[in-house]
Amino acid sequence: MSDIVEKTLTALPGLFLQNQSVGGPAGVKASFSSRLGGLVRGITALTSKHEEEKLIQQELSSLKATVSAPTTTLKMMKECMVRLIYCEMLGYDASFGYIHAIKLAQQGNLLEKRVGYLAVSLFLHENHELLLLLVNTVVKDLQSTNLVEVCMALTIVSQIFPREMIPAVLPLIEDKLQHSKEIIRRKAVLALYKFYLIAPNQVQHIHIKFRKALCDRDVGVMAASLHIYFRMIKENSSGYKDLTGSFVTILKQVVGGKLPVDFNYHSVPAPWLQIQLLRILGLLGKDDQRTSELMYDVLDESLRRAELNHNVTYAILFECVHTVYSIYPKSELLEKAAKCIGKFVLSPKINLKYLGLKALTYVIQQDPTLALQHQMTIIECLDHPDPIIKRETLELLYRITNAQNVIVIVQKMLEYLHQSKEEYIIVNLVGKIAELAEKYAPDNAWFIQTMNAVFSVGGDVMHPDIPNNFMRLLAEGFDDETEDQQLRLYAVQSYLTLLDVENVFYPQKFLQVMSWVDASLSF
Amino acid sequence: MIQAILVFNNHGKPRLVRFYQRFPEEIQQQIVRETFHLVLKRDDNICNFLEGGSLIGGSDYKLIYRHYATLYFVFCVDSSESELGILDLIQVFVETLDKCFENVCELDLIFHMDKVHYILQEVVMGGMVLETNMNEIVAQIEAQNRLEKSEGGLSAAPARAVSAVKNINLPEIPRNINIGRNPDHEPGAC
Repeated sequence: MSDIVEKTLTALPGLFLQNQSVGGPAGVKASFSSRLGGLVRGITALTSKHEEEKLIQQELSSLKATVSAPTTTLKMMKECMVRLIYCEMLGYDASFGYIHAIKLAQQGNLLEKRVGYLAVSLFLHENHELLLLLVNTVVKDLQSTNLVEVCMALTIVSQIFPREMIPAVLPLIEDKLQHSKEIIRRKAVLALYKFYLIAPNQVQHIHIKFRKALCDRDVGVMAASLHIYFRMIKENSSGYKDLTGSFVTILKQVVGGKLPVDFNYHSVPAPWLQIQLLRILGLLGKDDQRTSELMYDVLDESLRRAELNHNVTYAILFECVHTVYSIYPKSELLEKAAKCIGKFVLSPKINLKYLGLKALTYVIQQDPTLALQHQMTIIECLDHPDPIIKRETLELLYRITNAQNVIVIVQKMLEYLHQSKEEYIIVNLVGKIAELAEKYAPDNAWFIQTMNAVFSVGGDVMHPDIPNNFMRLLAEGFDDETEDQQLRLYAVQSYLTLLDVENVFYPQKFLQVMSWVDASLSF
Repeated sequence: MIQAILVFNNHGKPRLVRFYQRFPEEIQQQIVRETFHLVLKRDDNICNFLEGGSLIGGSDYKLIYRHYATLYFVFCVDSSESELGILDLIQVFVETLDKCFENVCELDLIFHMDKVHYILQEVVMGGMVLETNMNEIVAQIEAQNRLEKSEGGLSAAPARAVSAVKNINLPEIPRNINIGRNPDHEPGAC
């Protein structure tokens, strides 16, 4: 007997080594898993895009053969799928693999299913016809006893799911809202949020369940429900005013450190949660004194507590300030918030400066004196090396332009316009300059000159309203006859001079304006 | 809401691309290229927020990015997200990658792209932030990894044991033990 046992024991090491040796069926698996590595190494070794295309097309055709072959096991399919994902990420079409991704999710074991679901979420989109084939698998996985499978199904539902099939899975997901495991409840809430986004009328009847999620004993689930509430309150804040009390209580508890220590991030209690709650409160308190009164205490507390010097504390402070200015005003809070903004704008850290400027832009309508306090810094920011800061400053200045400072401000804007190449920025700025010029122009000459500059830079990309308005203005004129005459005269003269200049390229719209002005107004 | 999460290296090669809103394929590639060009122009000591460029959506969206060694992590978000909050979220994501991969580097993202996606799925689900605590995320991933080991190990073990026994080189067992009839000897005793 002992001989046989001995033989078994000596054979066992051979068993374990079998998987790692290169040879036999296990060897094929090993060489497969290094195929992705081989592909990536191959691509990095190439120098030209053309060669990369060739290599990837080769890879794709060999993958196509493998996935369609009947002898391919699910394990090999999993490996092929990862390579397909890689090729699609680089921009090459691999649509032959989509149906196999779905099959992998349907038939594979846990790991293969995971890759299949990942591939489906990356390859397909909501209106894709193949997506309907996935619904059965999702339904099956939602009812599985294996929690990982349920999680995977919920994840895929929140990434992509065909709208028409929502009724098929809705009751199953609602069920999961009462699951004993916190992670499942949380994922179920987010999946339902996705349904709310794509088909809000289908989830009308379960708003009560959202309320339950808000009061869930697990903070994670409550935090997930805040996403839904933020969206719903944004669309219709009056329907949820009664929840203000609950939000205030939750925020009080968070700020007061009543949450489990796990939720601390660099010793700040649940910062993202605080930010979310502050935003919701901002929406609820807008233009509503009674509701705002409920929040003053907790806002005061948050402003006080956020003393540490970490990025995330600044995030909370910024949100606090934003909320304080959104809701019905209270002078002490406004003062404190103004001080905060001051600190941001004067901070040497660039991110904070940017946020300070952004806050000022928001605040300026309600409290123009604040900008005056910081004018020196603002002027410095105009010449800041970072174009984003410059642009934010120009945004701010746009809002505080008046007849006195319009010339300087427009000049700075034009300087910035000349430097920037991005179409999006040009369109934006050109619109603003035109608006300011029209509103605050001190004299005709300046107005025409500015508009000329605007047309020559903005040219073809600007909104057609701008030249149209300009021409209409010239045609109809203001109330004063002599003023109009002078304006038109100046316009005609300047355009004639401009057209005389040789070797200059004017954008199409500018040429149109010039020719129209000269033709219809010169007499 | 988060529109897209892009990770690419200093040469613009995409390492992770996840869109939470529908864009056709060519547009997706264009967005990656455009984002790369926008982000490349930035020095290292200016602010981490950018306007989104014309393709990915206009004035409501911004790009929040961080540069770590050879990789750019870019989150494209709309105005409902806090900029500094997202900056810290990127930090949490990178720290989680570091924990799961032990001193993560670009090669890990290249060769284990699917694992990176699974980690990302635990942080951001459907464009909404699901979990921000690094330890929780790592716990979820380890639960999945444990299943990986058990799938390979336990369920396959009986089959392998059977085939191992079959392959053992047993000596020829004599069929006929002629020991003669002796009441003192017990059959089967060796």
